[in-house]
Amino acid sequence: MKLEIGRIHIKDIQFGDSTFVEDGVLTVDKAGLIASLKEDERIKDVQVDIARPGEKVRIIPVKDVIEPRVKVEGTGAGFPGVTSKTTQCGQGRTHVLYGAAVVTVGDIVGFQEGVIDMWGEGAKWTPFSKTYNVTVDIQVVEGLEVHTHEETVRLAGLRAAEFIGQAGKEVEPDEVLTYELGGMFEETAKYPNLPKVLYVEMMITQGLLHDTYIYGVNAQTILPSVMHPNEELDNAVISGNCVAACDKITTYQHQNNSVILDLYAQHGKELNFTGVIMVPEHTTLSGKLRVADYTVKLAKMLGADGVIVSEEGYGNPDSDLLMICKKLEDAKIKTVLITDECAGRDGLSQPLADTAAEAVAVVSTGNVSHVVTLPPAEKVIGNPESIAVLAGGWKGAVLEDGTMMCELNAVIGATSEIGYHNVTCRLY
Amino acid sequence: MSDKFKVLYYVNQFFGQVGGEDKAGMSPEHRPGKVGPAMGFEGALKGEGEVVGTIICGDNYFNENKEESLKFILNTVKETSPDVVVAGPAFNAGRYGMACGELAKAVAAELKIPVVTGMYVENPGVDVCKDKAIVVSTADSAAGMRKALPAMAAIASKLAKGIELDEPEKEGYIPQGIRKTLFTEKRGSQRAVEMLIARFKGEEFETEMPMPVFDQVDPAPAIKDLSKATIAVCTSGGIVPEGNPDGIQSASAQKWGKYDVSGMNGLNAPDFYSTHGGYDTAYANENPNRVVPLDLLKDFEKEGIIGKVHDWFYTTTGTGTSVSNAQKFGTEIGKELLNAGVDGVILTST
Amino acid sequence: MREMIITNNPLVVEKYSERVLFIDGSVEQVLIKVRDMVHRKHGLISHPLPASLRVLFSPYRSVIIGRNNGDINPLQVEIVENSILKYKKHMDVREVDKENNEDYQMIDLTLLESALKDEQVNSMLSGY
Repeated sequence: MKLEIGRIHIKDIQFGDSTFVEDGVLTVDKAGLIASLKEDERIKDVQVDIARPGEKVRIIPVKDVIEPRVKVEGTGAGFPGVTSKTTQCGQGRTHVLYGAAVVTVGDIVGFQEGVIDMWGEGAKWTPFSKTYNVTVDIQVVEGLEVHTHEETVRLAGLRAAEFIGQAGKEVEPDEVLTYELGGMFEETAKYPNLPKVLYVEMMITQGLLHDTYIYGVNAQTILPSVMHPNEELDNAVISGNCVAACDKITTYQHQNNSVILDLYAQHGKELNFTGVIMVPEHTTLSGKLRVADYTVKLAKMLGADGVIVSEEGYGNPDSDLLMICKKLEDAKIKTVLITDECAGRDGLSQPLADTAAEAVAVVSTGNVSHVVTLPPAEKVIGNPESIAVLAGGWKGAVLEDGTMMCELNAVIGATSEIGYHNVTCRLY
Repeated sequence: MSDKFKVLYYVNQFFGQVGGEDKAGMSPEHRPGKVGPAMGFEGALKGEGEVVGTIICGDNYFNENKEESLKFILNTVKETSPDVVVAGPAFNAGRYGMACGELAKAVAAELKIPVVTGMYVENPGVDVCKDKAIVVSTADSAAGMRKALPAMAAIASKLAKGIELDEPEKEGYIPQGIRKTLFTEKRGSQRAVEMLIARFKGEEFETEMPMPVFDQVDPAPAIKDLSKATIAVCTSGGIVPEGNPDGIQSASAQKWGKYDVSGMNGLNAPDFYSTHGGYDTAYANENPNRVVPLDLLKDFEKEGIIGKVHDWFYTTTGTGTSVSNAQKFGTEIGKELLNAGVDGVILTST
Repeated sequence: MREMIITNNPLVVEKYSERVLFIDGSVEQVLIKVRDMVHRKHGLISHPLPASLRVLFSPYRSVIIGRNNGDINPLQVEIVENSILKYKKHMDVREVDKENNEDYQMIDLTLLESALKDEQVNSMLSGY
């Protein structure tokens, strides 16, 4: 399978009468975008805004982040199985408005947090302070059932990304990246001496606000499935996860999954990247055991010498992570885990409650309880009341001048467990 | 006024050149200037700081009179108002380490003055203070003095100037147990890929989240017939006969004792009491059977539930006792019990 | 009765009244009850913790417990004990989010129902 990603570098965004890219500046037809989204009769109102890196803007509560793209060659247009018919993605050519992002905002339940600060201290902790963001704030019609509400907002974000992505259709990209991986036997024949490596990607799949979809299929219903990495890089996986702000995998991070990209970078050099296993995280223990066994069996069938496992979320998925690790190591498959930790506000707590002696190689993506101090914003996109939710965790979290303290767990992508961000913990 | 920073130094009777074990009972005294290792320490400061005074205190005195000793030390610190307090290095000396640890904790927590000490990683004093003070990792004996002092001096110098310390491995101190959240040059996924490649190549790699290591002991098989078994009691609760004939330390025990109880139906107060320095012993002293349940075992023996109570009970003090000493005691006691044909042991802790 | 739901969520009580053990108290009390049941040889069917921190701050929690297995399952004991440790580590320094009670009740119910659905599949497969 061969996929070309044509990156069109975006250096600014503005509103205009039509949607196009010129000299790296993305112009978005705001009225057209709103009208297009409102074709969904479940949507009552849409506010579209722009947040640029460095502006004193806070976006809250963020639901999802999506990269605007367009398919220019081959099948797999849009988000297959979700916004368009299911066709094979992961091949041909896709143009990406690199540096731009659609950020959906909207309360589905009152306790969502998910903050992106575009400037200052907060900006350091989220990768989405560096993107030019088109924010899409969705209000739905009265009386919508909560599952339908979530779906409406989820689809609106994807459709907005598609609408804006069209601007890249006729533009010559600034760079073209090629991702090519043949069949397993073919690659192994090419690199007989390189260790075969699989990527095990765990996904939150536990119900409302806690879901992930592959080709539109709710991953809660699947057994662990083998996927070609290109499929994920080409819109096959989308996020329906509105909680776990710091360590959820946004749709944008599926589209640009850093583990896949970094394994690709070593393919044919230090290792033979054999594929991705998509693993649902269940709430029941028997579900967790079934998934762990099934995953390890797939890894053995595919002849893996090593595996990288990334987690999504915190709490019950920690059990899945360690079970999978233990069983992989027992099967003599070298395993590296990526996860975040909770060492308490002061960093003095034992980081893990669950432990496994087999987890000898772990990448820590930071302490979810690390406290950050965020100065007041000049402009808030979304629901300012969510700031109270975010800061409401303990007394004295908001100072008189509006400066507030919050734990990293409220910041989008801060402790990304696919290792998307450059944060860690070290013992001092 | 000199622009050098001021250091107050703490040493025990031995390093303070007063004497050996015979002087371990000396109460703390403050001498102006530098004594013992304080001299080498000041040299290692390379003129940036000076030792303005040295407190010398006997190890036994400190551990047996902790409150008074700390009061004296804290008062001296207040009077001399140093920029840094330095104690030791205590290497693997348990009582000296406990003294350094306790004073380091008190000075850092109560007076907010930085403290540097030095110990061997297994010294029980490490856990007392490592999250509050900086403990330089030293060798297990005074042979490591020459290496310890420059490391302690470098850290004291940084602390006096308010410079943030680098990673524990680089500075040579024992990690304080704080998980710091930091930015890294490489993103997490790249670190994961590199870690995996290192594993493939058999190269050294460092996990970013070490799992806690527990010493696992397989339980012995169950006793098949209790009514024929000989049962012994062993405690780390510091129960000793009146007068503590073997001089078992109240903390950081260096030895264990065994006492014949074959003729007794229980441990009577005040014939037995606890010498333990780490818990409120009032209830143990009121009725020592609360820690060493000899009375109940004798009842069991009479009722035929167990075959026999072993003639001797074994005792030591758990508080501050180093892991290596505890392992040694356990092995020695275990061997005796085995030779005596004991079938089962009840271990009581406090 | 095969399974029981230990919960402090009134919405769950309303809907599954015939198989609920209602705890009139905190999430911590729910977790402790679950722990006691697991120590008394009941199977732990659903994990005691949610999958995200925000939901950890919820004032409601429902956990599914199985029938008496006749044996203590050490893995399950470990999971429930660790869950309590982890829960307390966070809540010792935080307050329960009471502003959004209704939303939390609803989310707890939907997460519970997805666990019940998953468990149904398992029950059919294992034939009881």
